[in-house]
Amino acid sequence: MSKRSSSVWLAPLPSLLFLRGETLWYYLALLSVLSLLGQELTRSSVLASSDFEGFGDEADDDDLSESLQTSHLPLRSSLSPPILTQSHFESDPEPPQQSPPPSDPTPPKPSSSIPFDFWDEDEFEGLPIETPPQNPQSPENSTPPASESDPKSTTKVSPSLRSYTVEIVCVSFLIAFIFNYFTGKRENENIALSWASRFAIKDSIFEKNFSLLGTGDGKDTPLLLKEGQNVFKFYASGRRFCQGLLATMELQSRHDLISRVYNLIVPCKDEITFEVYMNEDAMDQVVFALAKKKAAKVMHKEVMDLQRYANLVSAPNNRKWVVEDLAVISESKEVAGDLISETVLDQVFGDKAFEKFGKGFISLHFSDQHVGTHRKMLLFKFALTDANHMADMTRLVALVPYYIDLIGRYKLSSQARSKTEAARSKAAQEAYKELLNARQEALQKRKADRKKMMEAEAKLSAEVIRKKEEKERSRQMKKGKPKVKMTRAH
Amino acid sequence: MSSHHNSSSAASDPRQPSTANPYVPPMIAPQDLPVDYSGFIAIVFGIAGAMFRYKLSSWLAIIFCAQSLVNMKNVENDLKQISMAMMSVEKFGEIGEPNAPMMLAN
Repeated sequence: MSKRSSSVWLAPLPSLLFLRGETLWYYLALLSVLSLLGQELTRSSVLASSDFEGFGDEADDDDLSESLQTSHLPLRSSLSPPILTQSHFESDPEPPQQSPPPSDPTPPKPSSSIPFDFWDEDEFEGLPIETPPQNPQSPENSTPPASESDPKSTTKVSPSLRSYTVEIVCVSFLIAFIFNYFTGKRENENIALSWASRFAIKDSIFEKNFSLLGTGDGKDTPLLLKEGQNVFKFYASGRRFCQGLLATMELQSRHDLISRVYNLIVPCKDEITFEVYMNEDAMDQVVFALAKKKAAKVMHKEVMDLQRYANLVSAPNNRKWVVEDLAVISESKEVAGDLISETVLDQVFGDKAFEKFGKGFISLHFSDQHVGTHRKMLLFKFALTDANHMADMTRLVALVPYYIDLIGRYKLSSQARSKTEAARSKAAQEAYKELLNARQEALQKRKADRKKMMEAEAKLSAEVIRKKEEKERSRQMKKGKPKVKMTRAH
Repeated sequence: MSSHHNSSSAASDPRQPSTANPYVPPMIAPQDLPVDYSGFIAIVFGIAGAMFRYKLSSWLAIIFCAQSLVNMKNVENDLKQISMAMMSVEKFGEIGEPNAPMMLAN
Protein backbone atom coordinates (compact mmCIF):
# COMPACT_ATOMS: atom_id res chain seq x y z
CA MET A 1 0.00 0.00 0.00
CA SER A 2 2.78 2.33 0.90
CA LYS A 3 4.54 1.59 -2.32
CA ARG A 4 1.50 2.42 -4.30
CA SER A 5 0.94 5.69 -2.54
CA SER A 6 4.55 6.73 -3.00
CA SER A 7 4.39 5.99 -6.71
CA VAL A 8 1.26 8.09 -6.98
CA TRP A 9 2.99 11.00 -5.29
CA LEU A 10 6.13 10.66 -7.39
CA ALA A 11 4.28 10.28 -10.68
CA PRO A 12 4.00 14.01 -11.55
CA LEU A 13 7.70 14.68 -10.89
CA PRO A 14 8.96 13.88 -14.43
CA SER A 15 6.25 16.08 -15.92
CA LEU A 16 7.45 18.95 -13.73
CA LEU A 17 11.08 18.37 -14.61
CA PHE A 18 10.56 18.18 -18.36
CA LEU A 19 8.31 21.11 -19.13
CA ARG A 20 7.34 21.85 -22.68
CA GLY A 21 5.49 24.49 -24.66
CA GLU A 22 3.52 27.23 -22.97
CA THR A 23 4.00 25.84 -19.45
CA LEU A 24 7.75 26.31 -19.79
CA TRP A 25 7.21 29.92 -20.81
CA TYR A 26 4.90 30.61 -17.89
CA TYR A 27 7.45 29.20 -15.44
CA LEU A 28 10.28 31.11 -17.11
CA ALA A 29 8.33 34.36 -16.96
CA LEU A 30 7.46 33.75 -13.31
CA LEU A 31 11.09 33.02 -12.51
CA SER A 32 12.31 36.18 -14.25
CA VAL A 33 9.73 38.34 -12.46
CA LEU A 34 10.70 36.84 -9.10
CA SER A 35 14.40 37.39 -9.80
CA LEU A 36 13.75 41.01 -10.73
CA LEU A 37 11.70 41.48 -7.58
CA GLY A 38 14.47 39.95 -5.50
CA GLN A 39 17.05 42.26 -7.06
CA GLU A 40 14.85 45.26 -6.37
CA LEU A 41 14.29 44.33 -2.74
CA THR A 42 17.96 43.69 -2.04
CA ARG A 43 19.02 46.92 -3.72
CA SER A 44 16.44 49.02 -1.95
CA SER A 45 17.28 47.49 1.44
CA VAL A 46 20.99 48.18 0.95
CA LEU A 47 20.36 51.75 -0.11
CA ALA A 48 17.79 52.47 2.57
CA SER A 49 19.58 51.08 5.61
CA SER A 50 21.97 53.43 7.36
CA ASP A 51 22.86 50.89 10.02
CA PHE A 52 26.38 50.40 8.69
CA GLU A 53 29.08 51.71 10.94
CA GLY A 54 30.23 55.14 9.86
CA PHE A 55 27.27 55.89 7.59
CA GLY A 56 25.30 58.99 8.35
CA ASP A 57 21.72 59.88 7.67
CA GLU A 58 20.97 61.06 4.13
CA ALA A 59 18.53 63.69 5.29
CA ASP A 60 21.23 65.54 7.24
CA ASP A 61 23.10 66.69 4.20
CA ASP A 62 20.93 67.75 1.29
CA ASP A 63 23.69 69.40 -0.71
CA LEU A 64 25.97 66.42 -0.48
CA SER A 65 23.23 63.98 -1.47
CA GLU A 66 22.37 66.11 -4.49
CA SER A 67 25.97 66.17 -5.64
CA LEU A 68 26.30 62.42 -5.23
CA GLN A 69 22.92 61.53 -6.67
CA THR A 70 24.17 60.23 -9.99
CA SER A 71 27.16 58.32 -8.63
CA HIS A 72 26.93 54.85 -7.13
CA LEU A 73 29.13 55.70 -4.14
CA PRO A 74 27.62 55.48 -0.65
CA LEU A 75 26.96 58.77 1.07
CA ARG A 76 29.74 59.86 3.36
CA SER A 77 29.15 61.32 6.79
CA SER A 78 28.65 65.04 6.88
CA LEU A 79 31.05 65.41 9.79
CA SER A 80 34.68 66.05 9.05
CA PRO A 81 36.89 62.98 9.36
CA PRO A 82 39.01 62.79 12.51
CA ILE A 83 42.76 63.19 12.22
CA LEU A 84 44.06 59.72 12.82
CA THR A 85 47.72 60.65 13.34
CA GLN A 86 48.60 62.57 16.48
CA SER A 87 51.89 64.24 17.35
CA HIS A 88 51.80 63.21 21.01
CA PHE A 89 50.19 60.51 23.11
CA GLU A 90 48.36 61.07 26.34
CA SER A 91 48.91 58.56 29.08
CA ASP A 92 45.47 59.07 30.50
CA PRO A 93 43.03 59.29 27.63
CA GLU A 94 39.69 60.85 28.41
CA PRO A 95 36.41 59.88 26.78
CA PRO A 96 35.42 62.27 24.00
CA GLN A 97 33.44 65.23 25.21
CA GLN A 98 30.06 65.49 23.58
CA SER A 99 29.19 69.07 22.92
CA PRO A 100 25.57 70.08 23.34
CA PRO A 101 23.57 70.27 20.11
CA PRO A 102 23.73 73.69 18.53
CA SER A 103 20.67 75.87 18.41
CA ASP A 104 21.15 76.45 14.69
CA PRO A 105 19.13 73.83 12.81
CA THR A 106 21.59 73.59 9.90
CA PRO A 107 24.27 70.96 10.46
CA PRO A 108 27.89 72.08 10.44
CA LYS A 109 29.59 71.90 7.07
CA PRO A 110 32.94 70.15 6.88
CA SER A 111 35.67 72.72 7.03
CA SER A 112 38.04 72.84 4.15
CA SER A 113 41.00 73.58 6.41
CA ILE A 114 41.19 70.04 7.81
CA PRO A 115 43.79 68.06 5.90
CA PHE A 116 42.63 64.87 4.11
CA ASP A 117 46.12 63.44 3.71
CA PHE A 118 45.65 60.58 6.13
CA TRP A 119 41.92 60.05 5.69
CA ASP A 120 40.93 56.73 4.19
CA GLU A 121 37.45 56.76 2.63
CA ASP A 122 37.08 53.01 3.02
CA GLU A 123 37.92 53.07 6.71
CA PHE A 124 34.74 52.97 8.77
CA GLU A 125 36.16 52.35 12.22
CA GLY A 126 36.48 55.13 14.74
CA LEU A 127 33.97 57.44 13.09
CA PRO A 128 31.89 59.39 15.56
CA ILE A 129 28.20 58.47 15.64
CA GLU A 130 26.31 61.42 14.35
CA THR A 131 23.18 62.37 16.20
CA PRO A 132 20.65 64.45 14.30
CA PRO A 133 20.17 67.84 15.94
CA GLN A 134 16.91 67.94 17.82
CA ASN A 135 15.30 71.32 17.72
CA PRO A 136 11.96 71.21 19.50
CA GLN A 137 9.93 74.13 18.31
CA SER A 138 7.92 76.18 20.69
CA PRO A 139 4.19 76.48 20.02
CA GLU A 140 4.73 80.14 19.17
CA ASN A 141 7.00 79.28 16.23
CA SER A 142 4.97 76.29 15.10
CA THR A 143 3.99 78.01 11.85
CA PRO A 144 7.03 79.55 10.23
CA PRO A 145 6.55 82.48 7.86
CA ALA A 146 6.44 81.90 4.12
CA SER A 147 9.68 83.79 3.56
CA GLU A 148 11.67 81.33 5.68
CA SER A 149 10.43 78.17 3.95
CA ASP A 150 12.67 76.95 1.14
CA PRO A 151 10.86 77.03 -2.23
CA LYS A 152 12.97 74.15 -3.53
CA SER A 153 11.78 71.73 -0.89
CA THR A 154 8.13 72.03 -1.89
CA THR A 155 8.57 71.49 -5.64
CA LYS A 156 11.28 68.83 -5.49
CA VAL A 157 10.10 65.24 -6.01
CA SER A 158 11.67 62.66 -3.72
CA PRO A 159 14.71 61.09 -5.42
CA SER A 160 13.52 57.54 -4.77
CA LEU A 161 10.31 58.08 -6.77
CA ARG A 162 12.07 59.93 -9.56
CA SER A 163 14.60 57.14 -10.03
CA TYR A 164 11.86 54.52 -10.38
CA THR A 165 9.67 56.31 -12.96
CA VAL A 166 10.85 54.06 -15.81
CA GLU A 167 10.16 50.95 -13.75
CA ILE A 168 6.72 52.18 -12.72
CA VAL A 169 5.74 53.04 -16.30
CA CYS A 170 7.09 49.80 -17.77
CA VAL A 171 5.63 47.54 -15.10
CA SER A 172 2.22 49.21 -15.40
CA PHE A 173 2.42 48.79 -19.20
CA LEU A 174 3.29 45.11 -18.77
CA ILE A 175 0.35 44.63 -16.40
CA ALA A 176 -1.94 46.32 -18.95
CA PHE A 177 -0.38 44.14 -21.66
CA ILE A 178 -1.10 40.94 -19.72
CA PHE A 179 -4.65 42.04 -18.89
CA ASN A 180 -5.28 42.96 -22.55
CA TYR A 181 -3.87 39.59 -23.65
CA PHE A 182 -6.58 37.67 -21.83
CA THR A 183 -9.43 40.01 -22.77
CA GLY A 184 -8.37 40.21 -26.44
CA LYS A 185 -7.89 36.46 -26.62
CA ARG A 186 -11.43 35.96 -25.32
CA GLU A 187 -12.83 38.47 -27.84
CA ASN A 188 -11.17 36.72 -30.78
CA GLU A 189 -12.32 33.31 -29.59
CA ASN A 190 -15.88 34.59 -29.27
CA ILE A 191 -15.86 35.87 -32.87
CA ALA A 192 -14.47 32.59 -34.21
CA LEU A 193 -16.90 30.49 -32.18
CA SER A 194 -19.89 32.60 -33.17
CA TRP A 195 -18.95 32.14 -36.85
CA ALA A 196 -18.57 28.38 -36.38
CA SER A 197 -21.86 28.10 -34.48
CA ARG A 198 -23.61 29.99 -37.27
CA PHE A 199 -22.17 28.21 -40.32
CA ALA A 200 -20.47 24.97 -39.27
CA ILE A 201 -22.71 23.18 -36.74
CA LYS A 202 -25.59 20.77 -37.41
CA ASP A 203 -28.16 21.84 -40.04
CA SER A 204 -25.94 24.74 -41.12
CA ILE A 205 -24.79 25.54 -44.65
CA PHE A 206 -21.48 23.66 -44.47
CA GLU A 207 -22.99 20.65 -42.72
CA LYS A 208 -25.47 20.34 -45.60
CA ASN A 209 -22.72 20.61 -48.21
CA PHE A 210 -19.74 18.68 -46.79
CA SER A 211 -19.58 15.23 -45.24
CA LEU A 212 -16.44 15.90 -43.17
CA LEU A 213 -16.24 19.00 -40.98
CA GLY A 214 -13.32 19.93 -38.77
CA THR A 215 -9.61 19.29 -38.82
CA GLY A 216 -9.75 15.76 -37.36
CA ASP A 217 -10.82 12.54 -39.07
CA GLY A 218 -13.12 11.36 -36.28
CA LYS A 219 -16.68 12.41 -35.45
CA ASP A 220 -16.11 14.30 -32.20
CA THR A 221 -13.26 16.45 -33.42
CA PRO A 222 -13.00 20.21 -32.93
CA LEU A 223 -14.39 22.30 -35.76
CA LEU A 224 -11.82 25.05 -35.48
CA LEU A 225 -8.07 24.78 -35.47
CA LYS A 226 -6.38 27.56 -33.52
CA GLU A 227 -3.12 28.42 -35.24
CA GLY A 228 -2.39 31.59 -33.29
CA GLN A 229 -4.24 33.88 -30.93
CA ASN A 230 -5.78 35.65 -33.93
CA VAL A 231 -5.75 32.91 -36.61
CA PHE A 232 -8.44 30.21 -36.70
CA LYS A 233 -8.93 27.58 -39.38
CA PHE A 234 -11.95 25.56 -40.42
CA TYR A 235 -11.68 22.60 -42.77
CA ALA A 236 -14.40 20.76 -44.69
CA SER A 237 -14.22 17.93 -47.20
CA GLY A 238 -16.32 15.29 -48.93
CA ARG A 239 -18.23 17.18 -51.60
CA ARG A 240 -18.68 16.87 -55.34
CA PHE A 241 -16.35 18.83 -57.64
CA CYS A 242 -13.85 19.64 -54.89
CA GLN A 243 -11.20 17.98 -52.74
CA GLY A 244 -11.81 20.21 -49.76
CA LEU A 245 -12.33 23.68 -48.35
CA LEU A 246 -10.15 25.58 -45.91
CA ALA A 247 -11.52 28.70 -44.23
CA THR A 248 -8.95 30.89 -42.49
CA MET A 249 -10.09 33.58 -40.09
CA GLU A 250 -7.46 36.27 -39.68
CA LEU A 251 -8.69 38.49 -36.90
CA GLN A 252 -7.24 41.69 -35.48
CA SER A 253 -4.45 41.18 -32.96
CA ARG A 254 -6.70 42.12 -30.07
CA HIS A 255 -4.55 40.10 -27.68
CA ASP A 256 -1.53 42.31 -28.38
CA LEU A 257 -1.75 45.76 -26.82
CA ILE A 258 0.83 47.31 -29.16
CA SER A 259 -1.02 46.01 -32.24
CA ARG A 260 -4.31 47.16 -30.76
CA VAL A 261 -3.00 50.71 -30.35
CA TYR A 262 -1.65 50.57 -33.91
CA ASN A 263 -5.04 49.38 -35.18
CA LEU A 264 -6.67 52.41 -33.58
CA ILE A 265 -4.48 54.62 -35.77
CA VAL A 266 -4.50 52.39 -38.87
CA PRO A 267 -7.82 50.49 -38.76
CA CYS A 268 -8.06 46.98 -40.22
CA LYS A 269 -10.86 44.43 -40.50
CA ASP A 270 -11.33 40.86 -39.38
CA GLU A 271 -11.10 38.74 -42.52
CA ILE A 272 -12.14 35.26 -43.55
CA THR A 273 -10.61 33.55 -46.60
CA PHE A 274 -12.13 30.44 -48.18
CA GLU A 275 -9.79 28.31 -50.26
CA VAL A 276 -11.63 25.67 -52.28
CA TYR A 277 -9.38 23.03 -53.83
CA MET A 278 -11.15 21.89 -57.00
CA ASN A 279 -10.80 18.47 -58.64
CA GLU A 280 -8.59 18.38 -61.74
CA ASP A 281 -11.40 17.19 -64.01
CA ALA A 282 -14.06 19.45 -62.47
CA MET A 283 -12.67 22.87 -63.35
CA ASP A 284 -12.24 24.16 -66.87
CA GLN A 285 -9.74 26.81 -67.99
CA VAL A 286 -11.08 29.75 -66.01
CA VAL A 287 -9.32 32.86 -64.73
CA PHE A 288 -11.73 35.27 -63.09
CA ALA A 289 -11.67 37.84 -60.29
CA LEU A 290 -14.14 40.26 -58.76
CA ALA A 291 -13.20 42.95 -56.25
CA LYS A 292 -13.66 46.59 -55.34
CA LYS A 293 -12.12 48.87 -57.96
CA LYS A 294 -8.95 49.86 -56.09
CA ALA A 295 -8.32 46.32 -54.90
CA ALA A 296 -8.98 44.97 -58.41
CA LYS A 297 -6.28 47.20 -59.89
CA VAL A 298 -3.80 46.05 -57.25
CA MET A 299 -4.74 42.41 -57.83
CA HIS A 300 -4.33 42.78 -61.58
CA LYS A 301 -0.82 44.14 -61.09
CA GLU A 302 0.36 41.78 -58.36
CA VAL A 303 -1.38 38.41 -58.87
CA MET A 304 0.59 36.40 -61.43
CA ASP A 305 -2.22 34.55 -63.22
CA LEU A 306 -4.44 37.64 -63.49
CA GLN A 307 -1.51 39.65 -64.82
CA ARG A 308 -0.70 37.00 -67.43
CA TYR A 309 -4.11 35.84 -68.65
CA ALA A 310 -6.85 38.28 -67.61
CA ASN A 311 -7.96 41.85 -68.28
CA LEU A 312 -10.44 44.30 -66.77
CA VAL A 313 -13.89 43.69 -68.24
CA SER A 314 -16.19 46.63 -68.89
CA ALA A 315 -19.91 46.42 -68.14
CA PRO A 316 -22.07 45.14 -71.04
CA ASN A 317 -24.92 47.35 -72.26
CA ASN A 318 -27.61 44.74 -72.85
CA ARG A 319 -27.80 43.17 -69.37
CA LYS A 320 -27.65 43.76 -65.61
CA TRP A 321 -24.18 43.98 -64.14
CA VAL A 322 -22.41 44.30 -60.81
CA VAL A 323 -22.45 47.48 -58.72
CA GLU A 324 -20.27 50.37 -59.87
CA ASP A 325 -18.03 49.93 -56.82
CA LEU A 326 -16.89 46.53 -58.10
CA ALA A 327 -14.57 45.69 -60.99
CA VAL A 328 -14.43 42.43 -62.94
CA ILE A 329 -11.16 40.90 -64.16
CA SER A 330 -11.56 37.99 -66.54
CA GLU A 331 -9.90 36.07 -69.35
CA SER A 332 -12.87 36.67 -71.62
CA LYS A 333 -16.20 38.49 -71.56
CA GLU A 334 -17.97 35.18 -72.05
CA VAL A 335 -16.54 33.75 -68.82
CA ALA A 336 -17.39 36.93 -66.91
CA GLY A 337 -20.96 36.91 -68.21
CA ASP A 338 -21.47 33.24 -67.33
CA LEU A 339 -20.05 33.50 -63.83
CA ILE A 340 -21.92 36.68 -62.90
CA SER A 341 -25.35 35.15 -63.22
CA GLU A 342 -28.76 36.67 -62.54
CA THR A 343 -29.00 34.75 -59.25
CA VAL A 344 -25.75 36.21 -57.95
CA LEU A 345 -26.77 39.73 -58.95
CA ASP A 346 -30.13 39.40 -57.21
CA GLN A 347 -28.66 37.88 -54.06
CA VAL A 348 -25.45 39.85 -53.50
CA PHE A 349 -23.82 41.86 -56.30
CA GLY A 350 -26.82 43.78 -57.67
CA ASP A 351 -27.40 47.47 -56.93
CA LYS A 352 -30.02 46.89 -54.24
CA ALA A 353 -28.62 43.70 -52.72
CA PHE A 354 -25.04 44.93 -52.38
CA GLU A 355 -26.01 47.74 -50.01
CA LYS A 356 -27.64 45.27 -47.62
CA PHE A 357 -25.67 42.07 -47.98
CA GLY A 358 -22.42 42.98 -49.69
CA LYS A 359 -20.87 45.12 -46.97
CA GLY A 360 -18.42 42.43 -45.99
CA PHE A 361 -17.39 41.48 -49.52
CA ILE A 362 -13.69 41.91 -50.36
CA SER A 363 -12.86 39.72 -53.37
CA LEU A 364 -13.35 36.55 -55.40
CA HIS A 365 -10.55 34.91 -57.37
CA PHE A 366 -11.06 31.73 -59.42
CA SER A 367 -8.15 30.30 -61.36
CA ASP A 368 -6.82 27.08 -62.85
CA GLN A 369 -3.32 28.59 -62.88
CA HIS A 370 -2.68 29.24 -59.19
CA VAL A 371 0.90 29.16 -58.02
CA GLY A 372 1.39 26.45 -55.40
CA THR A 373 0.50 22.85 -54.67
CA HIS A 374 -3.12 23.21 -55.82
CA ARG A 375 -3.36 24.65 -59.32
CA LYS A 376 -7.16 24.79 -59.56
CA MET A 377 -8.55 26.86 -56.75
CA LEU A 378 -11.39 29.20 -55.80
CA LEU A 379 -10.58 32.01 -53.37
CA PHE A 380 -13.24 33.97 -51.50
CA LYS A 381 -12.34 36.85 -49.20
CA PHE A 382 -14.90 38.44 -46.89
CA ALA A 383 -14.78 40.79 -43.93
CA LEU A 384 -16.12 39.28 -40.72
CA THR A 385 -18.82 41.06 -38.80
CA ASP A 386 -18.85 41.20 -35.01
CA ALA A 387 -20.00 38.21 -32.95
CA ASN A 388 -23.58 39.49 -32.56
CA HIS A 389 -24.22 40.11 -36.27
CA MET A 390 -22.96 36.92 -37.94
CA ALA A 391 -26.30 36.45 -39.70
CA ASP A 392 -25.39 39.36 -42.00
CA MET A 393 -22.78 37.13 -43.65
CA THR A 394 -25.19 34.36 -44.64
CA ARG A 395 -25.54 35.35 -48.30
CA LEU A 396 -21.82 35.89 -48.73
CA VAL A 397 -21.03 32.46 -47.28
CA ALA A 398 -23.72 30.93 -49.51
CA LEU A 399 -21.66 32.07 -52.52
CA VAL A 400 -19.08 29.39 -51.72
CA PRO A 401 -21.17 26.24 -52.42
CA TYR A 402 -22.97 28.05 -55.24
CA TYR A 403 -19.74 28.79 -57.12
CA ILE A 404 -18.32 25.31 -56.44
CA ASP A 405 -21.30 23.84 -58.29
CA LEU A 406 -21.32 26.51 -60.99
CA ILE A 407 -17.64 26.13 -61.85
CA GLY A 408 -17.78 22.34 -61.46
CA ARG A 409 -20.45 22.17 -64.16
CA TYR A 410 -19.14 25.01 -66.31
CA LYS A 411 -17.74 24.25 -69.77
CA LEU A 412 -16.17 26.80 -72.08
CA SER A 413 -17.36 27.27 -75.66
CA SER A 414 -15.04 26.17 -78.49
CA GLN A 415 -14.08 29.77 -79.33
CA ALA A 416 -13.24 30.68 -75.74
CA ARG A 417 -11.37 27.40 -75.30
CA SER A 418 -9.17 28.01 -78.34
CA LYS A 419 -8.31 31.47 -76.99
CA THR A 420 -7.47 30.19 -73.52
CA GLU A 421 -5.40 27.32 -74.89
CA ALA A 422 -3.45 29.70 -77.10
CA ALA A 423 -2.79 31.96 -74.13
CA ARG A 424 -1.65 29.03 -72.00
CA SER A 425 0.67 27.63 -74.67
CA LYS A 426 2.15 31.10 -75.14
CA ALA A 427 2.68 31.40 -71.39
CA ALA A 428 4.31 27.96 -71.31
CA GLN A 429 6.68 28.98 -74.12
CA GLU A 430 7.59 32.16 -72.29
CA ALA A 431 8.28 30.21 -69.12
CA TYR A 432 10.47 27.77 -71.08
CA LYS A 433 12.38 30.68 -72.66
CA GLU A 434 12.93 32.22 -69.24
CA LEU A 435 14.29 28.91 -67.99
CA LEU A 436 16.67 28.67 -70.97
CA ASN A 437 17.82 32.25 -70.44
CA ALA A 438 18.51 31.54 -66.80
CA ARG A 439 20.56 28.48 -67.73
CA GLN A 440 22.52 30.42 -70.34
CA GLU A 441 23.25 33.18 -67.85
CA ALA A 442 24.52 30.61 -65.38
CA LEU A 443 26.80 29.09 -68.06
CA GLN A 444 28.11 32.52 -69.03
CA LYS A 445 28.90 33.29 -65.41
CA ARG A 446 30.84 30.06 -65.10
CA LYS A 447 32.78 30.85 -68.27
CA ALA A 448 33.56 34.35 -67.03
CA ASP A 449 34.81 32.92 -63.73
CA ARG A 450 37.06 30.47 -65.58
CA LYS A 451 38.45 33.27 -67.73
CA LYS A 452 39.23 35.30 -64.65
CA MET A 453 41.02 32.34 -63.12
CA MET A 454 43.06 31.85 -66.30
CA GLU A 455 43.99 35.52 -66.40
CA ALA A 456 45.05 35.42 -62.78
CA GLU A 457 47.26 32.43 -63.49
CA ALA A 458 48.76 34.16 -66.52
CA LYS A 459 49.61 37.16 -64.40
CA LEU A 460 51.77 35.04 -62.14
CA SER A 461 55.42 35.86 -62.63
CA ALA A 462 57.78 33.63 -64.59
CA GLU A 463 59.64 32.69 -61.43
CA VAL A 464 56.55 31.29 -59.79
CA ILE A 465 55.81 29.26 -62.92
CA ARG A 466 59.42 28.01 -62.98
CA LYS A 467 59.16 26.98 -59.35
CA LYS A 468 55.95 25.14 -60.08
CA GLU A 469 57.57 23.34 -63.00
CA GLU A 470 60.55 22.35 -60.85
CA LYS A 471 58.26 20.96 -58.19
CA GLU A 472 56.35 18.95 -60.76
CA ARG A 473 59.61 17.67 -62.28
CA SER A 474 60.92 16.58 -58.89
CA ARG A 475 57.63 14.86 -58.16
CA GLN A 476 57.80 12.99 -61.47
CA MET A 477 61.42 12.04 -60.78
CA LYS A 478 60.40 10.59 -57.45
CA LYS A 479 57.64 8.66 -59.14
CA GLY A 480 60.06 7.38 -61.79
CA LYS A 481 62.58 6.00 -59.25
CA PRO A 482 62.34 2.26 -58.57
CA LYS A 483 60.77 1.51 -55.24
CA VAL A 484 63.07 -0.47 -52.95
CA LYS A 485 61.47 -2.43 -50.20
CA MET A 486 63.43 -2.56 -46.97
CA THR A 487 63.00 -5.70 -44.91
CA ARG A 488 64.52 -6.22 -41.53
CA ALA A 489 66.25 -9.52 -41.00
CA HIS A 490 65.20 -11.38 -37.92
CA MET B 1 -27.40 30.10 -55.05
CA SER B 2 -29.78 27.73 -53.44
CA SER B 3 -27.70 24.62 -53.98
CA HIS B 4 -27.72 23.83 -50.28
CA HIS B 5 -31.47 24.18 -49.79
CA ASN B 6 -32.60 21.03 -51.55
CA SER B 7 -30.23 18.71 -49.73
CA SER B 8 -33.11 16.62 -48.41
CA SER B 9 -33.47 14.69 -51.65
CA ALA B 10 -30.70 12.13 -52.10
CA ALA B 11 -30.25 12.85 -55.81
CA SER B 12 -29.20 16.48 -55.38
CA ASP B 13 -27.19 15.95 -52.18
CA PRO B 14 -23.75 17.44 -52.89
CA ARG B 15 -22.05 15.44 -50.12
CA GLN B 16 -19.74 12.59 -51.07
CA PRO B 17 -18.35 10.83 -47.99
CA SER B 18 -16.14 8.59 -50.14
CA THR B 19 -14.12 11.58 -51.38
CA ALA B 20 -13.57 13.10 -47.93
CA ASN B 21 -9.91 13.74 -47.15
CA PRO B 22 -8.76 14.47 -43.60
CA TYR B 23 -6.97 17.75 -43.00
CA VAL B 24 -3.21 17.65 -43.48
CA PRO B 25 -1.47 20.80 -42.21
CA PRO B 26 1.00 22.17 -44.76
CA MET B 27 4.66 21.72 -43.91
CA ILE B 28 6.28 25.14 -43.68
CA ALA B 29 10.04 25.43 -43.96
CA PRO B 30 11.69 27.66 -41.32
CA GLN B 31 12.90 30.09 -44.00
CA ASP B 32 9.34 30.56 -45.29
CA LEU B 33 8.00 31.66 -41.91
CA PRO B 34 7.15 35.33 -41.49
CA VAL B 35 9.86 37.41 -39.83
CA ASP B 36 9.45 37.86 -36.08
CA TYR B 37 10.16 41.58 -35.92
CA SER B 38 9.26 42.00 -32.26
CA GLY B 39 11.65 39.20 -31.27
CA PHE B 40 14.43 40.80 -33.27
CA ILE B 41 13.75 44.23 -31.73
CA ALA B 42 13.77 42.59 -28.28
CA ILE B 43 17.24 41.19 -28.94
CA VAL B 44 18.49 44.56 -30.20
CA PHE B 45 17.17 46.41 -27.15
CA GLY B 46 18.40 43.69 -24.80
CA ILE B 47 21.94 43.88 -26.14
CA ALA B 48 21.81 47.69 -26.10
CA GLY B 49 20.68 47.59 -22.48
CA ALA B 50 23.50 45.22 -21.61
CA MET B 51 26.24 47.14 -23.40
CA PHE B 52 25.27 50.73 -22.65
CA ARG B 53 23.63 50.07 -19.27
CA TYR B 54 20.35 51.72 -20.26
CA LYS B 55 17.55 50.46 -18.07
CA LEU B 56 14.90 51.86 -20.43
CA SER B 57 16.38 49.78 -23.24
CA SER B 58 16.19 46.65 -21.10
CA TRP B 59 12.58 47.34 -20.20
CA LEU B 60 11.70 47.85 -23.86
CA ALA B 61 13.40 44.53 -24.59
CA ILE B 62 11.14 42.85 -22.02
CA ILE B 63 8.04 44.48 -23.56
CA PHE B 64 8.93 43.44 -27.11
CA CYS B 65 9.84 40.00 -25.84
CA ALA B 66 6.36 39.74 -24.34
CA GLN B 67 4.87 40.83 -27.66
CA SER B 68 6.89 38.19 -29.48
CA LEU B 69 5.71 35.52 -27.05
CA VAL B 70 2.11 36.60 -27.43
CA ASN B 71 2.22 36.53 -31.24
CA MET B 72 4.11 33.25 -31.45
CA LYS B 73 2.60 30.72 -33.86
CA ASN B 74 5.23 28.09 -34.50
CA VAL B 75 6.77 27.36 -31.09
CA GLU B 76 9.71 25.26 -32.27
CA ASN B 77 11.05 27.81 -34.73
CA ASP B 78 10.55 30.98 -32.72
CA LEU B 79 11.83 29.51 -29.45
CA LYS B 80 15.52 30.20 -30.13
CA GLN B 81 15.08 33.88 -30.85
CA ILE B 82 12.80 34.55 -27.90
CA SER B 83 15.01 32.63 -25.48
CA MET B 84 17.97 34.65 -26.76
CA ALA B 85 16.06 37.87 -26.11
CA MET B 86 15.05 36.66 -22.64
CA MET B 87 18.64 35.77 -21.80
CA SER B 88 20.02 39.09 -22.98
CA VAL B 89 17.42 40.93 -20.92
CA GLU B 90 17.72 38.77 -17.81
CA LYS B 91 21.48 38.36 -17.64
CA PHE B 92 22.80 41.72 -18.69
CA GLY B 93 19.98 44.25 -18.59
CA GLU B 94 20.37 46.88 -15.90
CA ILE B 95 16.67 46.87 -15.10
CA GLY B 96 16.48 47.39 -11.40
CA GLU B 97 19.20 49.95 -10.81
CA PRO B 98 17.65 53.22 -9.71
CA ASN B 99 20.76 55.20 -10.58
CA ALA B 100 21.37 53.62 -13.98
CA PRO B 101 21.55 56.31 -16.67
CA MET B 102 18.46 56.97 -18.71
CA MET B 103 18.66 56.83 -22.48
CA LEU B 104 16.96 60.18 -22.91
CA ALA B 105 18.46 61.91 -19.89
CA ASN B 106 19.91 65.36 -20.45
